[in-house]
Amino acid sequence: MSLPEAISGLRRIVGDDAVLDRPEDLMLYEYDAGVRKSTPGAVVFPQNAQHVSQIMKLAASAGIPVVARGAGTGLSSGAISHTGGIVVAFSRMNRVLEVDVENLRAIVQPGVVNLQLSEYVSHLGLYYAPDPSSQKACTIGGNVAENSGGPHTLLHGVTVNHVTGVEVVLPSGEIVKFGGKAAESHGYDLTGFFVGSEGTIGIATAITVKLLRKPEAVATLLAIFESVDDAARTVAEITAEGITPAALEMLDGWTLRQVEAYCHAGYPLDAGAVLLIELEGLREAVEEEAVAVRRVCLLQKAREVRRAKDEEERALLWKGRKTAFAALGRISPSYYTQDGVVPRSKIPAVLQHIGDVAKKHDLIIGNVFHAGDGNLHPLILFDDRDAGQFESVMSASSDILQYCIDVGGSITGEHGVGLEKRDAMPLLFTEEDLAIMTDLRNAFNGDEVLNPGKMLPTPRMCREIAGRSRNAILAQEGL
Amino acid sequence: MSTATTPAQLVRELRDICGAEHIIEDPATLDAARILGVTPSVSVEPASAEEIAAILRVANQQGLNVVPAGGSTQQQSGSVPSQVDVLLCTSRLTEVQHYDPGDLTVGIGAGCTVAQLASMVAKDGLLFAADVPLPERATVGGMLATGMTGPLRHGYGGLRDYCIGVRFVTGDGRKGKGGGRVVKNVAGFDLMKLLIGSRGTLAVITGASFKLFPAPRQTRTFVANFANSADAIQFRNNVQRSPLSPICLELISPEIQSLLPAGRSAMAWSICVRASGSDAVLARYRAELGTAISSEVDSAAEAGLWRAVQDLPHALSQQRPDSLLIAFSLPPADVQTTLTDLEATTAANNLTLAVIGRVGVGHLLAAMWPKADSKADVGATLSNLRDRLPRDASMSVLYCPSALRHEIATWQKTPTDLESMRAVKRTLDPKDVLNRRRFVL
Repeated sequence: MSLPEAISGLRRIVGDDAVLDRPEDLMLYEYDAGVRKSTPGAVVFPQNAQHVSQIMKLAASAGIPVVARGAGTGLSSGAISHTGGIVVAFSRMNRVLEVDVENLRAIVQPGVVNLQLSEYVSHLGLYYAPDPSSQKACTIGGNVAENSGGPHTLLHGVTVNHVTGVEVVLPSGEIVKFGGKAAESHGYDLTGFFVGSEGTIGIATAITVKLLRKPEAVATLLAIFESVDDAARTVAEITAEGITPAALEMLDGWTLRQVEAYCHAGYPLDAGAVLLIELEGLREAVEEEAVAVRRVCLLQKAREVRRAKDEEERALLWKGRKTAFAALGRISPSYYTQDGVVPRSKIPAVLQHIGDVAKKHDLIIGNVFHAGDGNLHPLILFDDRDAGQFESVMSASSDILQYCIDVGGSITGEHGVGLEKRDAMPLLFTEEDLAIMTDLRNAFNGDEVLNPGKMLPTPRMCREIAGRSRNAILAQEGL
Repeated sequence: MSTATTPAQLVRELRDICGAEHIIEDPATLDAARILGVTPSVSVEPASAEEIAAILRVANQQGLNVVPAGGSTQQQSGSVPSQVDVLLCTSRLTEVQHYDPGDLTVGIGAGCTVAQLASMVAKDGLLFAADVPLPERATVGGMLATGMTGPLRHGYGGLRDYCIGVRFVTGDGRKGKGGGRVVKNVAGFDLMKLLIGSRGTLAVITGASFKLFPAPRQTRTFVANFANSADAIQFRNNVQRSPLSPICLELISPEIQSLLPAGRSAMAWSICVRASGSDAVLARYRAELGTAISSEVDSAAEAGLWRAVQDLPHALSQQRPDSLLIAFSLPPADVQTTLTDLEATTAANNLTLAVIGRVGVGHLLAAMWPKADSKADVGATLSNLRDRLPRDASMSVLYCPSALRHEIATWQKTPTDLESMRAVKRTLDPKDVLNRRRFVL
């Protein structure tokens, strides 16, 4: 079946107004928030699981690759189409199907926007915990595919800890159910396996998520340090105190100055680094923890520890954190974001290393990241019109990532592998590890009609990479 | 390619892999390791994932049935195997793979007991949150394979929430891993999820990494007693709608009380609320829970109570070998419905009912046994419960009387698509060498 024939087929399934195939429309779907581009052959907007099932069957028989897409805010090219492929966009499947207050669950369509779910249940005193920085735009379906995180996942866990069931359209077109409203289901936990499978197993058409009760008390502290090193050591000292904050974020001095200029969050312009620490729970516990955290910070040479007086101040402090990427976008033509993870005790050392790398390559690298769980987001600034500079960025980037791996960390904490880090997978996993994962994918998606080429390198690629210098590969692959 | 077909030849191959001193052929020892009455032909204690892979390759060539074993505290669940060609013990896989208290993570071999792991991290003020039954015997690998947790499940989540990495050998003899050592990691498929609760049917788990928690510095247990289960569940609802976040929220039925340390209120439905925090926090619990509280338990008595609750699944099957033990995973709002069904169907079929459970998260464990001199119908009870199971609920048999073992499947009901589960099984254990037909899909 040719692409035009397939497009006619798609129109018969979803209607004329739910398929895009003009070049000027397709252009809008050729990128996500990462660095790659690829133009799809068609974009289709299903309205229910039956539509998705019929689309999958049609694509499979036509041999045209399919990729599911939420808001396209992903950073790893996970939602980028195969050239000429079909993008299944979920903007018309954006309804909250059920709010079950008794069970603290919601069933949502994949196109529901993350923050809108929390707003939708707010009047019930409930919220949805995972809060990626893109939560104003990103969708629950995309969050499920990538197993997204966010600042508040330190206490409450990432997306997989909040999804108890999924309705899935398999590449065969069959509609199946994994799990449901119960916290766990007996037999194999295919719900947990599905979350974070980056759209390579099936397409979620309904998602059952946990809702949490809003905490009685919240304390938001801003601890101001003269040096990054003091702030980094404080992170471990807070947990050694027996406290698990709801969020524990760090901004280095350079980054917070850019943020302050952009959104006036109230960060001190002369600081070496700040920690944004949020505590939540029972009023009595939060008060005690706030006192203890303040004490720990001052012991670790914090210059000052401020506490947000009210919700307005709290929102402002968070605005600074959540708009940090945008602030840097304002001052630099381009930036490259990493997502490496290190064990918590290695945070001071990795920040030192990042500083050295910046000096070595003569680059500006800002750090704004989830310090509490060791999930780094070094932001490397560059001018994409300068090819030489881009090369330095890639080389610096691979230095940092290799360091994360060397100290027992990971190449991605919450952004996903996608295309962007696919060829770095052999740095973490053996050929046999990857063969097992590939076989599992093939058990569901053997013809790779669904999101081909994502997350798992081909076996040939593994062998080639294993035989070449790791740094050379990382640099070449943009890592 | 092996051509061995006799037990003697198999033993020779296993000796070549693991060394003669790690092969057990002594009939008395093998007999003591019976799986539901079936004596293994040979037992082997490999030292590494490589040796396990070699054993499984032999099993694939010869079509053997291999039963992985840790502390064998849960081997009484599942169907009776037609034969156990190889009992594969993980007891030598006890190496600490990584541990820095500042990371709040640990990586450990599958053969380490849960108690050893818990006490190692407790020295640094940390908590390993899976308080499984018989932790001195139960191993990390067995815990993961059976998906076992304990009363702390309420406050700290399940294994799927804090197991951050897993190493294993698939049924077809391939070494693999998922996840890693760090608490946040989305590189590759989440194979931890796939193996937790898979009951040794997909792979032999050789090691795992876990998130740890700061250990509570002070705890207190508030006990509320009720005349019936409905009042107890109403109290649970009140606790869950309050701002309190206890670390345990456990239901204990009247018939269980006699199995717990002295001083428990006989014939009551109890809800035990375990709180952690300062004196001020505990005072707040007291104020919020109010007059429903009939007693407070602390110190050694509190530790004894929770240890008894932790071991109850085992104690029940020991004290009542004629009992059927069923695990339910329910949407939390359906706990009351299932309790009512349990009470009705056991009464109608002349069975005594005993229930414990993490009722806040929807986990129930129900034991039932024939009343004295009665003709009880356990099979009818089971099918009745299965038919009445709420939507989205799961039900599994953890233990059943020997007379019923051939008739009762372990996985009674799950909302998850069975054909997708079978596709996973075929991928990782295509020749069905691991726990063949013990856990029917």
